[in-house]
Amino acid sequence: MITRRRFHAAVAGAGAAATVVGAPAIAQKKGGEAIVAQQSPPPSLDAQTTSAQHARNITTHIWETLYARDEAGNVVPDLAEGVNISPDGMTYSFKLRKAKFHNGKDMTSADVRASMERYKKVGNSSAVLRDVVAFEAPSPDTFVMKLSKPVPSLLDGISSPRAPFAIMPEEQGGKEANKIDYIGTGPFQFAEYRPDSHVLLRRFDGYVANTAYKERDGFAGRKTAHLDSVRIRFMPEAGARAAALEAGEIHVNELIPTPAAQRLKANRNIRIHEMMPWAFQVIIMNHSQGPMQNLKFRQAIQAVLDYEEIIAIANDGLYRMTHGWQHPGGTYFAGDIGKELYNQKNVAKAKQLLAESGYRGEEIVFLGDSTIANHKGVTEVGTEQLRRLLGINVRAHIVDWPTASSMRLKPEGWHLWALGMGIEPYEGPFNVAGFFAKPQMQTHVEDPILEEAFGRLQSSPQLADRQKAMADLQRRMYDNVTAIKLGDFGIIQGARANVENFKPYRAPRMWDVWLA
Amino acid sequence: MIRFLANRLIAALPVLFIVSLLTFVLIYFVPGDVSAELAGPGASAADIARIRSVYGLDSPFHERLLGWYAALAQGDLGQSVLLRRSVTEAILERLPVTLSLTALALVLAIAVGVATGILAAMRVNTWVDQATMTVALAGLSLPDFWLGLVMIYLFAVQLGWLPTGGYVPLTENPVGWLRSMAMPALALALTQIGLLARMTRASMLDVLRQDFMRTARAKGLPNRVVIFKHALANVMIPVITVIGLSVGILLGGAIVIEQVFSIPGVGRLIIGGILRRDFPVIQGGLLLTATVFVLVNLAVDILYAVVDPRVRYDR
Repeated sequence: MITRRRFHAAVAGAGAAATVVGAPAIAQKKGGEAIVAQQSPPPSLDAQTTSAQHARNITTHIWETLYARDEAGNVVPDLAEGVNISPDGMTYSFKLRKAKFHNGKDMTSADVRASMERYKKVGNSSAVLRDVVAFEAPSPDTFVMKLSKPVPSLLDGISSPRAPFAIMPEEQGGKEANKIDYIGTGPFQFAEYRPDSHVLLRRFDGYVANTAYKERDGFAGRKTAHLDSVRIRFMPEAGARAAALEAGEIHVNELIPTPAAQRLKANRNIRIHEMMPWAFQVIIMNHSQGPMQNLKFRQAIQAVLDYEEIIAIANDGLYRMTHGWQHPGGTYFAGDIGKELYNQKNVAKAKQLLAESGYRGEEIVFLGDSTIANHKGVTEVGTEQLRRLLGINVRAHIVDWPTASSMRLKPEGWHLWALGMGIEPYEGPFNVAGFFAKPQMQTHVEDPILEEAFGRLQSSPQLADRQKAMADLQRRMYDNVTAIKLGDFGIIQGARANVENFKPYRAPRMWDVWLA
Repeated sequence: MIRFLANRLIAALPVLFIVSLLTFVLIYFVPGDVSAELAGPGASAADIARIRSVYGLDSPFHERLLGWYAALAQGDLGQSVLLRRSVTEAILERLPVTLSLTALALVLAIAVGVATGILAAMRVNTWVDQATMTVALAGLSLPDFWLGLVMIYLFAVQLGWLPTGGYVPLTENPVGWLRSMAMPALALALTQIGLLARMTRASMLDVLRQDFMRTARAKGLPNRVVIFKHALANVMIPVITVIGLSVGILLGGAIVIEQVFSIPGVGRLIIGGILRRDFPVIQGGLLLTATVFVLVNLAVDILYAVVDPRVRYDR
């Protein structure tokens, strides 16, 4: 079920120019500096160690990975030419393409081995390599991973931009987290970092493009750096970022609030880009505390909420109503499973379930944070609905992000938690399901049915079996009310009209972009 | 005077110790730490524990407290996890930015505020008095972040006279520095201009009614001399007190203004530290702020002696 967003209609009226940016009608031009504004500085520029969006925006320009994701999020080769997987699924032999590091050194398998060994020690998603027992470099252009058991999700894992499996020179491999020199093989090289001000990247003239592709493709493809430099400025105030774009001081604004975008869309010097979907809007359910231990109580919450009202208010109208725990059109999209339990708005059913649950007015804590606006919106509107429609004794507990993020790790102190899941659905099914299975297990209660399905998803060699596992997972998430998916929300980015070939993606890519 | 200064500086040490201890304890018990920022929302408790271990965030309270004071005794404010540099280095990089912003705002506030207050007092109960005090009240009432955003829209977007934000170091480009500082300093100063104008007016009116003022006029002294030599010197005692307070308020206000105008100063460093739980940055930043407050108070006391011959600290 997909509904039109109020914003979408407005943007469509702004002109088709914004949507055909991908067509390079104007000759490519070399030179110049593009300034990209983002809300926050990166917590770290050590790509392997952080999953922060604000780091990814920068590090994907500096480092590349063996495999990456294409425009549609599919797994495709990047620094590897391809991979040969042994029949038992336990040996992955990667043939490496030619690439050069920013220090002038050619990339070899020794660099890849050192990078992967480092990732296993300090990498943010090191669990991906949990079953790898050996990294080998039998020849300069061959890298081998040996596993203790088949892991069909391995390529999905190492190609994810969440905390990239960045390939760096061998001499960086032994360095601790956050202590490396920023040397990669990407089209831009690190030049300067002034905390709270900017990061400056310069074009890497020695860049070796991937000739297996014809053009930019997601985080992979044939990349060309046209710009002399890219300056990523950190501008915390959304109004100031929008004003800077309007005044022509910046070229790209990575995040524009919907009301500001409505105003800017009339400006002929600015192109507004809507990225839909950007993330799932979800309410995480803590199954371990008080009435939440009772399935009927959780089902009452699932039945009563008006999902559309919540997601619409929380995201200023930039949303779409989808029930799937994978994006429609994706390989693992599970069709209509669970749809009958999605956005029911059935007060009578909810009241009956609540009565059957034996709820006696215990306080329910709805955890949210004020750092991310849609989290706050979901918490406030959700709390109000549960009070008004069902008479549940709910308290909105809105704190800052680090506090909420820390609180949810413990089973006590909260019952519902508002969250946006962005990178997980982009990555595919493994991290969406993994978010609710052990060890992450946001519900704080192990669910054997969900674990069994997750096990099949991780280990089944055949795609059809993995798709079935994901469908079973989705069924279980609705039946057990593991979490509530309210829908998908989008984000809006903006660029000056002279920024050619800019196309929004999971990070503002400044390769294959030039200034007219 | 030297003995007075020495006593005041010694007396400041317990204050700074209490500030540092309170800061440490409060931060320790606030939920979350830098591992949440590094790990991201999908992290498990095990992921968080691993990162906490890597950065030594899982040490017991007493170990961390002792470590903090042991380092502090050697002048070491610690190492920022996120900035890859020492806190001292991070603060020293930003201190000139914040101090120059505060100084510029203070100069503006004193020049405009005191002059406006004197003018209003000399034209008391006229339209000049009414108009200046109304504007002063408006300046006092409007939030500086709102003023900042309005200024950005007006002077940067509509008129294109000034940049929307950012910072140009004075040593790199003095004109660029002034352009980057003009709006933030004005937004920051407006509240204090209103406060100083109203304070100066009230003090001036009080002094103008004193007997010695009547005597000065009776002696036939020109109005300029009466006002600027005899009245102003007496007005300055309470005004200096307010200026001292203003420095503190301006330093506090700079935190918000630095956010609005994307200026990499100490305020933004502390806010960033708090939002991302970079504990050494918060501790170091707050200790620095407390030190600046102590020094400003001391400077105000010294200024009393400079402007008022009756005040002596050497007896």
